[in-house]
Amino acid sequence: MIKLRDLALNLPSGFALKIDSLDIKEGEVFAVIGPNGAGKTTLLNVLGLLQEAKPGLFEIAGRNAIPSSGRTALRRSMAYLFSRPYLVNDTVYNNIALPLKFRGEKDSGQVAGMLETFKIAHLRDRSANQLSHGERHRVSLARAFVTRPRLVLLDEPFSSLDARVKETIIGDLGRITRAAKTTLVLVTQDQEEALALADTLAVIKEGGLLQRGEPQEIFSRPASKEVADFMGVETILNGEVAAKSDNLCSVRVGASTLEVISGCDKGDKVLLCVRPEAVSVSKAAEANSMRNHFRGRIVSVEPWRLEYRIAMDCGFDLIAAVTKRSLDEMGLKPGDEVFASFKATAAHLIRR
Amino acid sequence: MGFILDGLIKGFSLIVNGDAEVYSIVRLSLSVSIFATAVSVAIGVPLGALIAIKKFPLKKIAISLVNTGMGLPPVVVGLMAMLLLSRNGPLGFLGWLYTPAGMVLAQVIIATPVVTGLSLSAMQSLDRKFYLQMLTLGAGQWQALWVCLKEVKLSILAAVIAGFGSIISEVGAVMIVGGNIRHQTRVLTTATVMETHMGNFDTAIALGLILLSLTFLINMALTFIQQQKARAE
Repeated sequence: MIKLRDLALNLPSGFALKIDSLDIKEGEVFAVIGPNGAGKTTLLNVLGLLQEAKPGLFEIAGRNAIPSSGRTALRRSMAYLFSRPYLVNDTVYNNIALPLKFRGEKDSGQVAGMLETFKIAHLRDRSANQLSHGERHRVSLARAFVTRPRLVLLDEPFSSLDARVKETIIGDLGRITRAAKTTLVLVTQDQEEALALADTLAVIKEGGLLQRGEPQEIFSRPASKEVADFMGVETILNGEVAAKSDNLCSVRVGASTLEVISGCDKGDKVLLCVRPEAVSVSKAAEANSMRNHFRGRIVSVEPWRLEYRIAMDCGFDLIAAVTKRSLDEMGLKPGDEVFASFKATAAHLIRR
Repeated sequence: MGFILDGLIKGFSLIVNGDAEVYSIVRLSLSVSIFATAVSVAIGVPLGALIAIKKFPLKKIAISLVNTGMGLPPVVVGLMAMLLLSRNGPLGFLGWLYTPAGMVLAQVIIATPVVTGLSLSAMQSLDRKFYLQMLTLGAGQWQALWVCLKEVKLSILAAVIAGFGSIISEVGAVMIVGGNIRHQTRVLTTATVMETHMGNFDTAIALGLILLSLTFLINMALTFIQQQKARAE
């Protein structure tokens, strides 16, 4: 659906976007995640033909998207939703019918279809100014889909919605795009949003794509420290592969040895990454199948997302996430001696 | 004090009795200013919208020029228009000097920057992403601009009111370009000045009252429309 090569864009602000190659397949849900100022929206503006750029190659649905002329025709094959739903001061019906009007087309039931699909038929004649935030988002989505675009670009579309509304809208969107085989490009800072929708995930930072692949792959096997950091890997340790047997690497981290399943070789200098939710914590030594067991002392306990983040000193810094219930049951507090363990498959090595 | 009262009485009688000359002056004043406002709106609204929406080099200078134009002294505009339209001037071939067409031109020069500047300001109050969102929905540039203008229609109406206000009561430019020729280019403002100079205060007061009433009525009508729309939103 999208083929982009050798994009080098320098904005007057000094920000530079440089992408050597980007391919998005037809019917794919492609999510771009990255921190603020990484270039997500600029990339989406290039794809949405709102930002002038002169890449080596740029095709949308097989059509050359580089020339400035003919952009309106190309834009009409896609839809682009900003994070804020910009509705006109008119009824819901007229808002959804607007793209048809721009194309000089008559409404032959498409608007009614969208009203049903996005569960807003009861709002048909209501003024856009009288809608709740979630309703405005639904109208905006219905308006984007009314022309049945083959490509939909979404710029952090759910960032301002509360969790419950977001969940239902994401559910509906996923269902609709998969049914219509719409290609969706979504940029977001929210990993959960990206993981819920994406077939392919790309991580962007400082104007460059750091890694792309299946979401679970990036989530559990980040290719660099930057990606690991952004994907919420809290424990990132410098180490060296001291020994290897089959795929089981023994990694020296300070005075400790950790075991990790990895394709790295003996002697490789590595970064050892462990996600906090992969680390289990107990007050007493437990016999379990995990290969890594360490005695440590709790340094801090802080709220983290819906859980608690436990920072431990095990001869190296190790971070674990525990539920509120576990925290209360074990009565964990700073200064306590604890036992931490994680599986060899739960850690990941990045060659330095 | 007596002459003021006499003037007011005569003024009202001229209005009530439908003095033919006064009414022809009123008709010309209205037609020149309404036509000039229409031309200024046709030029100024899209121009202001484009300057506000588009990104281009020297944009700040363009906005400064428009803002400067909003305060153009009418006599200077009259002088410029007269030089342009004079027999040896670049637009002399039009033969517009001392005609209503020349007066319209002078008033367009005065009102256009006012309408442009206020339209520009109105459009800048709208998030530029709104315009971009319209483009992404498949709008062409003019379709997107039109939708944006509708979003700020109350402010655009204020620009129209201000544009009309800047010329209906203007005297310097129309005096120079029109020449205050009886039955041809005499309008309310130039006639008021002339009658005052001649000591005909009663007629001057009558014309002044009519000008004031017309300005009030037209502005009231526009304001009424504007406030109706505001309430509807």
